[in-house]
Amino acid sequence: MTNLLLEGMQWVLVAFSVPTLVRLLLGPTAADRLVALNILSGLALGFLVLRGVQEGRALYLDVALVYDIFGFLGFLAIARFLKDRMTDESQGGEEE
Amino acid sequence: MILLFLVVLIVLSAYSVFTRDLLHGVIALSAVSLVSALLFYILQAPDVAITEAAVGAGVSTVVFVWAIRSTERKKRQ
Repeated sequence: MTNLLLEGMQWVLVAFSVPTLVRLLLGPTAADRLVALNILSGLALGFLVLRGVQEGRALYLDVALVYDIFGFLGFLAIARFLKDRMTDESQGGEEE
Repeated sequence: MILLFLVVLIVLSAYSVFTRDLLHGVIALSAVSLVSALLFYILQAPDVAITEAAVGAGVSTVVFVWAIRSTERKKRQ
């Protein structure tokens, strides 16, 4: 019963990631894609933890931990680049 | 579930190759790394998934964004 519920919750998370992937592929601006990637990271975190609980090994939970830490680093870099690009565009538009 | 992840992987890789904006390509590449780590995880290789998550999602995204930032300013001048 518990195994069936864990499997079903994994499929629910996979189903939730489908519209997020559509937004990541078709999103008009880069900020839309960044938010979609962030939501996808959260869904993947839940998926990894659910699969780790299902397998019952402690090593499987480390993957979720490491992905969450290093994924945040990547999102931070993308968000910083986005901020710099937006300020460059606004300043360039005013000066030129 | 493995087949679904493989299809998503191919779609995201094709998008990251064929897109015009470099930042969109980097975001799609980060998603490719995420789905790839999930695939390794499902195939019961958690240590490979840890390495993929650390290197692919974290370090390579930072390096690519750094490269884009330091090349775009030369093009504008």
